[in-house]
Amino acid sequence: MLLSDLNVGDKALVKGLHAQNAVRRRILDMGLIAGTRFKVLRVAPLGDPLELVFKGIHVTLRKSEAAGIEVEKAGENGDAVPMGQERRKRSSGR
Amino acid sequence: MVQRKEIRVALAGNPNCGKSSLFNALTGAHQRVGNFSGVTIEKHEGFVDYGSYRIRFVDLPGTYSLTAYSPEELVARNYLIEDPPDVVVNVVEGPNIERNLLLTLQLMEMEVELLVALNMYDEVEAEGIEIDVKQLQRLLGCHIIPTSAKKKQGIDSLLDHVVRVYEGDIEIKKNKLAFRQELEQAVDTITGMLVDEPELGKYNRRWLAIKLLENDKEVYNVVRQYPVWVKTGQALQQIMQETATLYKTDPETGITEDRYAYIRGAMQECVRFPREKKQSLTDYIDSVVLNRVLGFPIFLFIVWLIFHMTFTLGTPLMDGLDSLFGQLSVSVSPFLPNETLRSILVDGIIAGVGGVLVFLPNILLLFLGLSFLEASGYMARAAFVVDKVMHRFGLHGKSFIPMITGFGCSIPAIMATRTLKSPSDRLATIMIIPFMSCGAKLPVYVLLAGAFFAPSVAANVMFGIYVFGIAVGLLTALAMKKTILKSDSEPFVMELPPYRWPSFQSVIVQAMRKALMYLKKAGTIILLAVLLIWFFSNYPKNPELDAELDRRIAEIEMTVTEEGQKEEAIAAAENIIASEQLEYSIAGRAGKLLEPVIRPLGFDWRIGVALATGLVAKEVVVSTMGTIYSLGETDETSIELKSILKNDPGFDPATALSLMVFVLLYIPCVAAVSVMRKEIGDWKAVVYYSIYALAVAWIFSFITFRAASMLL
Ligand SMILES: Nc1nc2c(ncn2[C@@H]2O[C@H](COP(=O)(O)OP(=O)(O)O)[C@@H](O)[C@H]2O)c(=O)[nH]1
Ligand SMILES: [Mg+2]
Repeated sequence: MLLSDLNVGDKALVKGLHAQNAVRRRILDMGLIAGTRFKVLRVAPLGDPLELVFKGIHVTLRKSEAAGIEVEKAGENGDAVPMGQERRKRSSGR
Repeated sequence: MVQRKEIRVALAGNPNCGKSSLFNALTGAHQRVGNFSGVTIEKHEGFVDYGSYRIRFVDLPGTYSLTAYSPEELVARNYLIEDPPDVVVNVVEGPNIERNLLLTLQLMEMEVELLVALNMYDEVEAEGIEIDVKQLQRLLGCHIIPTSAKKKQGIDSLLDHVVRVYEGDIEIKKNKLAFRQELEQAVDTITGMLVDEPELGKYNRRWLAIKLLENDKEVYNVVRQYPVWVKTGQALQQIMQETATLYKTDPETGITEDRYAYIRGAMQECVRFPREKKQSLTDYIDSVVLNRVLGFPIFLFIVWLIFHMTFTLGTPLMDGLDSLFGQLSVSVSPFLPNETLRSILVDGIIAGVGGVLVFLPNILLLFLGLSFLEASGYMARAAFVVDKVMHRFGLHGKSFIPMITGFGCSIPAIMATRTLKSPSDRLATIMIIPFMSCGAKLPVYVLLAGAFFAPSVAANVMFGIYVFGIAVGLLTALAMKKTILKSDSEPFVMELPPYRWPSFQSVIVQAMRKALMYLKKAGTIILLAVLLIWFFSNYPKNPELDAELDRRIAEIEMTVTEEGQKEEAIAAAENIIASEQLEYSIAGRAGKLLEPVIRPLGFDWRIGVALATGLVAKEVVVSTMGTIYSLGETDETSIELKSILKNDPGFDPATALSLMVFVLLYIPCVAAVSVMRKEIGDWKAVVYYSIYALAVAWIFSFITFRAASMLL
């Protein structure tokens, strides 16, 4: 299934990329490579783009870009399935 | 004086890693901003004297990677190849070390003299992340210096290491990351072939081979020029096919995966994150600020707040400057007995350049606000919230802020498009900004709407004009993106960085820099334009009119006895003569020559002249109309000008509407045009744009005039 088919709160695993060129490169650079476990954290107020969280970083992408990522569902919100390496507490200055 | 040895250092790192902050901490006041050759990407240079060395820093654009897909990445890596610095300092965002190391590995592949600055080390410690720096140094083969740009820690240690690397006191191991076997073989094959070409000497052959396997267009184009390409090209094709059939992937993905695998290994060996996972402040803020219901209103509120502050704080300052220039005119006049000289200085330079300079406080304040939003991390969220709307018109979420800034003034708005990375997104955004009705057009609307419509209708008319501008702008963007700007937009895939409290210093420095750019413009091209327009509207002089004026004044002196009345009568006579002089001048004649072209829009030559002088600054349209329609000091609230226009047979509500539409859409002022040209880097585009704007203005004014003449 494609990342764009997931709902908010879904957890999934990246299987592969269909995206091409700059979008593909940027997805790879962000670390969304095969085997990465992520969660769809939220969708923007107007329904697009999405926000994902993985490895302690938050990344946004449009649904059209998300359609270039093949994923496999691996749990849902609040199911206590650990989020891969999501160990990093996000920081904030005061 | 001692001759210091120069060391050239480049800073490279991901966006938001604190590179600019570190650069400021390192170089303090010794900074200069230019452009990388040929592109409008800012190049920050600075230096610091350390011991017997002068260390020069260049802040490379923030990038996640070193590919050929984005101009920033290309600029960064070309700089490293074409003009290799003595040392490259890779700034790494400590708390986000895993993703940041991807760039580190790519720098290692380029075999540069590398040092890693492990920045935001204060946060690393505060969050309880443990990093085994020694072991990581061993794995990466280069020294790692913990720094905190915010707390100014590790700065001296970093400088010390730079010197030691330069002097060869520290060995950079230049470790090689070994890819999976089949890729490693492919890299070796290609490298072996490239070695046969001596002309490729300045490149690291292994790096070229990796890039070719990563499908890098730029590197393809370089290697293609040489005879080795015949062999290499074939080999590459074969490798691509094999990887696809045997391993069901492609070398580019494989290479990135292997880099990440290496990083994961390093992370497991050297980095421990704290066990407990509690919600951070960023998560709390985002759950409100990006909330499905609240997100949009909050965004609008923040935008409103920035503008409100800009204008409430800026307006008194602006008025102050305005009266300062007024005073200046008054006080220099007596010292300039020569009338021509006085006219140049007072009516030309002080009025023209002053009229542009008064916006300085607004610009400074606006950029203080925008820099704050950028450095705090909210800007990326703003893009997230509005991207859907903007994307529908072919624009990027980040286009929104420059666009609305255009309602204040096009100049800072055009400068603010620098946050957009893709040239086509930037160009499209720059082109629509002038259609956002800027503050200087407001006086024109106030005058015309006020003169020809009842107060309740006037407000709606003005609102309609604003909305119409937005519509034309967005449709322009859509049309451009569908035709001439089809090329790559920037992907929206980006990080939402944690919220951070920006350092006061760097926000101020950034805003000051924009203000300086604006000042420089006012001092050069705007000055020139102002002088030209002054000349055109003053020459040639008709001596008969001067004589006529003297005659009338003499007559008034004779007949009118009461002082107040006398002054008034003289002023009135001067105005009538001034308007006749204007008619006689080049500008006046040009206006008459142009009249047939603008006649269909309901305009006569006088409006033509007003529009032409409006190119200096849009509010000048009002003051020129004041002169032409024979009045003294004019501003938009002037009752007199209003009633004169109302009673003028050449002017009716249809003309007024048509003129408002024309002022909304036609060529922006010289200041905006010159900033446009600087940001686009090409006169041709600006000329085409001006023609487009004129055509659009003409067509819509024509439609407005015809429709309004029938309906009203
Ligand atoms: N806590 C902390 N914050 C930092 C440090 N360096 C930079 N920042 C903050 O991180 C944000 C981004 O910094 P900036 O220099 O603009 O990053 P750039 O995009 O890499 O140029 C700003 O809000 C800085 O104040 C640091 O060493 N420690
Ligand atoms: Mg920066």
